[in-house]
Amino acid sequence: MVKNHMHEHGIEYSEVRQFSPDDLRDQIARWIEPDRVPKRFNIITDTSDFYRVDYDDVVILGDRPYLIRNNEREGRFGIDDQQKYWVKRALDLSDGTVKIIKLVFHERFQATVGGIVFDCYRSPQKEARILALTRGHPRFMQGFSVRDSSNNIIRVLDFIKGKTLADTVPLLGNDHEDYFHNHLPYLFDEFVDLVQAIHFLHSHREKHGDIRRDHIIRDTATGLARWIDFDFNYLHKENMFGYDLFGLGNILVYLAGRGDVTVQKLQQESSPALARLTANDFNIIFNNRVLNLQKVYSYVPEALTFILLHFSAGASIHYDTTEQFLHDLLEAREHLRHK
Amino acid sequence: MSGNIRNILIAVDESENAKRAVIYVKDLLAGLPGFHITITTIIPRPPEDYFITEQEKNDWIEHQNKTARGILEDYRQIFIQADFREEDVVSHLVMRECTSLAECILDEQKSLSCGTVVIGRRGISRKEEFIFGSTSSKILHTAKDCSVWVIE
Repeated sequence: MVKNHMHEHGIEYSEVRQFSPDDLRDQIARWIEPDRVPKRFNIITDTSDFYRVDYDDVVILGDRPYLIRNNEREGRFGIDDQQKYWVKRALDLSDGTVKIIKLVFHERFQATVGGIVFDCYRSPQKEARILALTRGHPRFMQGFSVRDSSNNIIRVLDFIKGKTLADTVPLLGNDHEDYFHNHLPYLFDEFVDLVQAIHFLHSHREKHGDIRRDHIIRDTATGLARWIDFDFNYLHKENMFGYDLFGLGNILVYLAGRGDVTVQKLQQESSPALARLTANDFNIIFNNRVLNLQKVYSYVPEALTFILLHFSAGASIHYDTTEQFLHDLLEAREHLRHK
Repeated sequence: MSGNIRNILIAVDESENAKRAVIYVKDLLAGLPGFHITITTIIPRPPEDYFITEQEKNDWIEHQNKTARGILEDYRQIFIQADFREEDVVSHLVMRECTSLAECILDEQKSLSCGTVVIGRRGISRKEEFIFGSTSSKILHTAKDCSVWVIE
């Protein structure tokens, strides 16, 4: 019998249920091929040493057993295919659904962006809070958190089947103009929804912390793009949300450009736009990325250019809040073709 | 103006620009009666989830407090040695979570009824201001009912 769950900051507490190996083997056999059912396996309730949580182990969290499959792998900025040993794909043996289980990894490091160094860390608590805050929200990954037998905060996430925004955008349309008129309008509407989702976090004094185009996955189950990965945190300076806004700006220019429009790309294409660009037309942090897309693609409307230039080396004012950003996005939407 | 303009708050940290702000006020007001100076350090406390253990948190707090107390006393002595009366120069240490350091400084300005706030400008890069914001700019833009001196 499992005691009732209690909640503190969105984290579920429940007594770890006891399962016998035979019981677990029967449960495993319900979901996988008979010849793949492991004859022997470890039953783990304390996940503190995540390196010891391995393929075919069963992790018991609260009253549910999970059969561990592979480690997840690092995304865009990681070393090629580097395994994330603290992030496991797993099968929920209670109902056969695929989950992503994030174990506790107290990582603390200094990140450098554009030569600016800041203190970063992974926070299971933060991700747990945001999972609770955004439960049922279609624009966020879904899941819950639960403590293991050693009080580690484990996040159990619904597996999202789908591709990241980074994977899909450059493939849309025959060329930039076709993309801009026929695909960007609906992507832009979706981006506005995603920014509103971040605004929702900020209004609850939570940062996303790691806004990147590969942290948005289009869920094939709903057709909607969702934000993922909320455990990244940093010690902010004056503007708590500035780094999130910077991330949103990078995604917007990626959307508007159908990918990154870089000096190298324009050189390869022998683009005449190169002669028109000045230092102020580039990203304030990533100096090879063009922000003033209007100088490359003349049909980019003024209202969108106005927003993009807030993130440029020549900007004299920046967005302090998602509210300001949303205001301008909605205005720019009027100047894009309607669906 | 809600605070007394002769009631001056100097917000400092361990940086050189903070020291410049202290010396500027000392040089400007030395020998003039009727001013009350509060030198404050606000230590933004990291969120609870930054610390892995309670011990680590306690060590961090102790270290920060000790460092800040040292800085405040050094700066206070700068005024005392310039013949300011001891009772006219006080130090004030605050440790709290800050969404914005500027807001925390202005909270202190209000609660201490200071009509003048003095800060040193860090001279951060445009990039840094873009991503993380600037405390002096925010104070300049949001301060109400008080004067702001930004010392270069």
